[in-house]
Amino acid sequence: MSEQQNERSFQKQASVFLNAKVVNKKNARWYKDIGLGFKTPVTAINGTYVDKKCPFTGDVSIRGRILSGTVHSTKMTNTIIVRREYLHYIPKYQRYEKRHKNIAAHLSPAFIGVQKGDIVTVGQCRPLSKTIRFNVIKHQKQQQKGSKQFQKF
Amino acid sequence: MGISRDSRHKRSHTGAKRAHYRKKRKFELGRQAANTRLGPKRIHEVRVRGGNKKFRAMRLEAGTYSWGSEAISRSTRIVAVVYNASNNELVRTNTLVKGAIVQIDATPFRQWYENRYAKILGKKRRAAAEEDKGEATKPRSKHLLAKVAARKSSVEPALDTQFGSGRLYAIITSRPGQSGRCDGYILEGKELDFYLRKIRSKK
Repeated sequence: MSEQQNERSFQKQASVFLNAKVVNKKNARWYKDIGLGFKTPVTAINGTYVDKKCPFTGDVSIRGRILSGTVHSTKMTNTIIVRREYLHYIPKYQRYEKRHKNIAAHLSPAFIGVQKGDIVTVGQCRPLSKTIRFNVIKHQKQQQKGSKQFQKF
Repeated sequence: MGISRDSRHKRSHTGAKRAHYRKKRKFELGRQAANTRLGPKRIHEVRVRGGNKKFRAMRLEAGTYSWGSEAISRSTRIVAVVYNASNNELVRTNTLVKGAIVQIDATPFRQWYENRYAKILGKKRRAAAEEDKGEATKPRSKHLLAKVAARKSSVEPALDTQFGSGRLYAIITSRPGQSGRCDGYILEGKELDFYLRKIRSKK
């Protein structure tokens, strides 16, 4: 339980009252269904993390665009860069060129084991920081060709 | 003023320097921080966008604090600022901001508790002061005594010692520079343990 209190102020879910005299279930947790058919992961429901920017257990709503892309970088704390590739048509030559855009998206602690190359679905939310306007709502691991082979040890 | 809240002066997501093509607009304005201190009440009224008002508290000394587990609120005097997660300077200067941990006067809460449960809080100090004319021992009718006996009361030991010293730890949840009030709730349970540890590790 102390692994979630790493900041200088007490981390808690805003809508959960911890000090009721009659405790119904131990350390009640608040979570929500974000809608649009996206399942809220069990790690979010059963977890102990506190993240106010998590779409499932925090104070953000997913509305507007839903995009997907591949994970480009996971080096930031709680956020990832999602790379979206597309083809742009040049009418003069009647051919296409590859272009890409990077999106910074908030990654909730509910998603564990997100690595470079995985496919991720992000939903638009209100601005969470200077460049983050999206939140990861679904994660699907990259398909390994010949996945029966050893990868890491 | 000079303080603006625009993002046109910042570099973009790609790192490009953005061209300065227009002046600051009034809707992007920012104002000086209130830095509300402890002291005799002094509140400045500010006219804001849309003709609305904001109450910039410059000095405050009291606020309404809630005792969550008992579900009551009382207006009390603020004694001192004890901890601030963001900045130790704000503790030294006794600046009241949202999220600051303060010590408040415990008497209204103690009086309410003793009136309702007929038990004395903060055992050791009060026992020394003898129960002369406390709320706990005032004469009550038989019907009222039966009601009082039926009420269950349990106060955690950490809170009990605070009542003994006459000062409770509370956290400010209002924004004094916006609403002109310094309200909050009394710390209990895990939150209280967390902040007590932080305060002790400072000293």
